[in-house]
Amino acid sequence: MIAAPNRWAEARQEAGRAIAALLVALIVAFVIVLSTSSEPAEAFRTLLTAPMSSNRTRGYWIDDVAKLTLTGLAFSLVFQARQFALGVQGQAYVGGLAAALVALSPVGLTPLAIPVGMLAAMLAGAAYGFLPGYAKARFGASEIVSSLMLNYIAIRMVNYAIRTQLAPPGTGQLTSPEFPPQAVFPAIVPGTRFDLGIVIALVAVGVVWFLLYRTAWGLKLRLVGHNAQFAEYAGIRANAIMVSAMTVSGAIGGLLGSVFVQGKAFGRIAIDFDGNLAFEGILIAIVARSKPLAVPFVALAYGYLRQGAQLMGMRSDVPMEMIAVVQALVILLVASQFTLPGRKALARLFGRKETAT
Amino acid sequence: MMELLVTVFSATFFVTVIRASTPLLFATMGGLVSDLGGALNVALEGMMLIAALTAVVVSVYAPWYVAVLAAIASGALLGAMMGFFHLRLRADVILVGFAVNILAAGGTVFLLSLATGGDKGTSINLVSKAVPAAHLDFLAAIPVIGPTMHSVLSGHSVLTWAAFLSVFAIWYFLYRTPWGLWLRGVGEYPAAPAAAGIPVDRVRLWSLIVSGALAGAGGAQLAMFNYIGFTRDMTAGRGFIALGAVLLGARHPVGGMLAALLFGVFEALSIVMPGLFSWIPGEMIQIIPFVVTVLALILFSYRAQRARMMKVPVRE
Repeated sequence: MIAAPNRWAEARQEAGRAIAALLVALIVAFVIVLSTSSEPAEAFRTLLTAPMSSNRTRGYWIDDVAKLTLTGLAFSLVFQARQFALGVQGQAYVGGLAAALVALSPVGLTPLAIPVGMLAAMLAGAAYGFLPGYAKARFGASEIVSSLMLNYIAIRMVNYAIRTQLAPPGTGQLTSPEFPPQAVFPAIVPGTRFDLGIVIALVAVGVVWFLLYRTAWGLKLRLVGHNAQFAEYAGIRANAIMVSAMTVSGAIGGLLGSVFVQGKAFGRIAIDFDGNLAFEGILIAIVARSKPLAVPFVALAYGYLRQGAQLMGMRSDVPMEMIAVVQALVILLVASQFTLPGRKALARLFGRKETAT
Repeated sequence: MMELLVTVFSATFFVTVIRASTPLLFATMGGLVSDLGGALNVALEGMMLIAALTAVVVSVYAPWYVAVLAAIASGALLGAMMGFFHLRLRADVILVGFAVNILAAGGTVFLLSLATGGDKGTSINLVSKAVPAAHLDFLAAIPVIGPTMHSVLSGHSVLTWAAFLSVFAIWYFLYRTPWGLWLRGVGEYPAAPAAAGIPVDRVRLWSLIVSGALAGAGGAQLAMFNYIGFTRDMTAGRGFIALGAVLLGARHPVGGMLAALLFGVFEALSIVMPGLFSWIPGEMIQIIPFVVTVLALILFSYRAQRARMMKVPVRE
């Protein structure tokens, strides 16, 4: 029995659980690869080592980490308010479109292109995040359904805008022209995708952490998430907090859109540009237990696995979609109170005190 | 505009509506059963997708009814899995649901490439079967109204009839059997049935299994009648639209059926409109069902909220 739960011990325990879940999932993945591939060892080796193999692949990895961190943060923020708003994908699309419009306008040729693009993206995303929040607060409409529908709507509308308005007419291209160099994030390591995006993501982590744990708004938000009725009794306007949480989360989602289109990876806007990455923030947030400081670490591990799976899909006969098994298992195991057989031995191995669940 | 009206009021359009509504109707009934049991099933989408693939792959090797049963079984199995993680391991049911959706989105592509030897995305190289249509030719023999009835009622999938039958069956189960009362009690206020000795967790587990089975039937209709074969993400949000339909239907089977039919009308519109108005971009037509769902959800929630505020006793 621990009288005052030590924050570090708790964090270690959570991390241990996440790692255990990942190991279980990887073992299952290995069994699947073993039984379906003609060269299982090679495929699995690619999955686990390929992202580190060159500067270029490391750049891909870090680029994904930046984006996964942002989407994970956006999901964490609404999850902390106990709202299952799943609109990050739609917000990224409208944000990306806003950033692209700025980059392709005359502003795109000035040094203001990057900050104005990011700001426009955040405003667009915030507006798009506000909608399901308002619909829930004002009309009681389920935010799960409305935010998902808004995702589908945003993707198709933005694709339409790209196809008919931004793409050079008559070419049948599905992308806009490339942005002027002033509007594209500078690379930190030249020649790779290691660009400003990761810096933006880490700053966002700090900002969200500060908002949640060092401001009155954050305290109210967490109280609402913990027990909305109690928060109401304490004089907190739960609805207003809820809407503001979804709006701020929307701004992060919009920022993700800007990082997508203004990053080195694209430098322009293309249809279906997020490759479903924006939605995978749900996994990051679940594994990170909606703790902003844990999000980048989870993104680091998950981004590695994601990159590994993509390279495995290209270089071996195992399709990258196999990784869905790992994703689903990790969510299931982290979300549930599973206990590993032989947990005591594991605990001794990691040198941590055994605690009752 | 005239062409649209002529099309909408034709018997073929009605048949299209029914065809488009059937998967939604199954999924809506599935969502309803678990929702009334107190477990929001956000995994309808993934269950339908996995069931659709199961139906296609099984139908290559077995008769159509075996494929349909396999699809239903796969949905039920996923429901049981959700129940295990939610009820035994105490995971949040929404998170478990999204785990199923993620598994479905990637897993179906993976399994499809295994089943076809490398094809990712479509099952075009698999010779899969279809659910037969019920041809009610005897209707045409009825004088005066016969031909109309024949063109409206004949030619639907066997599963369509099953879907409408399931609406009645679920209504009867919910409001005319003790187990239906248990289910509603468990969803409304679990402590009371628990005190009365009703196995709350087992009721929830069965509600998830039935929910999965119904979603599975919807997936079978989708991949064996509406389309013959599987394509990646072929459910295209239908599972989530069904969740909206459950709420729009005021969590009642008949209401859910009407909501599913309403969404079916708009899906059918999005099927016939490209042929009539080639100038409307495809994306705009594709978003119709989603826009309608959001608007209907807001409208209904607003009405329900006002009803609650006015303390009008709602008939159960």
